[in-house]
Amino acid sequence: MESKFTVACKDGVASIELCGRMDASNSPALQEELKKLSAQKVSHLVFYAKDLEYISSAGLRVIIFAKQKIGVDSQVYLIAAQEAVLGVIKMSGLDNFVHIQDSFTA
Amino acid sequence: MSRITVAAKIDSLPLLLAFVKKEAAGAGFDEKTSNQVQLAFEEAVVNVINYAYPAAEGSIDVEASEGAEGLTIVISDTGIPFDPLSMPEPNINAPLEERRIGGLGVYMFRRIMDKVAYKREGGRNILTLIKNK
Repeated sequence: MESKFTVACKDGVASIELCGRMDASNSPALQEELKKLSAQKVSHLVFYAKDLEYISSAGLRVIIFAKQKIGVDSQVYLIAAQEAVLGVIKMSGLDNFVHIQDSFTA
Repeated sequence: MSRITVAAKIDSLPLLLAFVKKEAAGAGFDEKTSNQVQLAFEEAVVNVINYAYPAAEGSIDVEASEGAEGLTIVISDTGIPFDPLSMPEPNINAPLEERRIGGLGVYMFRRIMDKVAYKREGGRNILTLIKNK
């Protein structure tokens, strides 16, 4: 599956669609894309991960970056993540600070 | 034993991950374990890519071998001495807004692999990762 990320923001909800693999070779590009949101008021950071097959710490850094630099007061959501991705999220302890849901509910 | 040598740059990562994925399949690991091995390997090798050669270009050698113990992956470079295992563990209980970038990758490959070892020998950093069957 081709790795592809798309970012959209409407009414304070940033929707980030993740597809394929999030590793150290492609995560910085998503981080650059997310920087464009820093001028906006973001209340919810929603990462849609149904089609995300792999995430490394480089991908986790993007989630941490988004929270720290774009929406420090925002809520972070991870939607429909596969088991492999959830395992990494849990290993890093991020599951205690991210809303893990099957579908986005604010 | 299989071996690959690549330039120590981030563009080499997909090639390295494909190499390890093939070796993990050859060792008989299921997809879940193969993914974990790829993840651990990425965390280890990205450290080399990012830090081993601050002033010049360099290369990374990766050897993989299957044995009774499992799959052994040896990553070596001629960069500056760096023992990733000496890095302090990150606080994984810290909330996102207080998280520090760094240390998480080493923490993850130590968690995933059954054995990790570092040595500096002959001017090389040599990091060994073993995943048992």
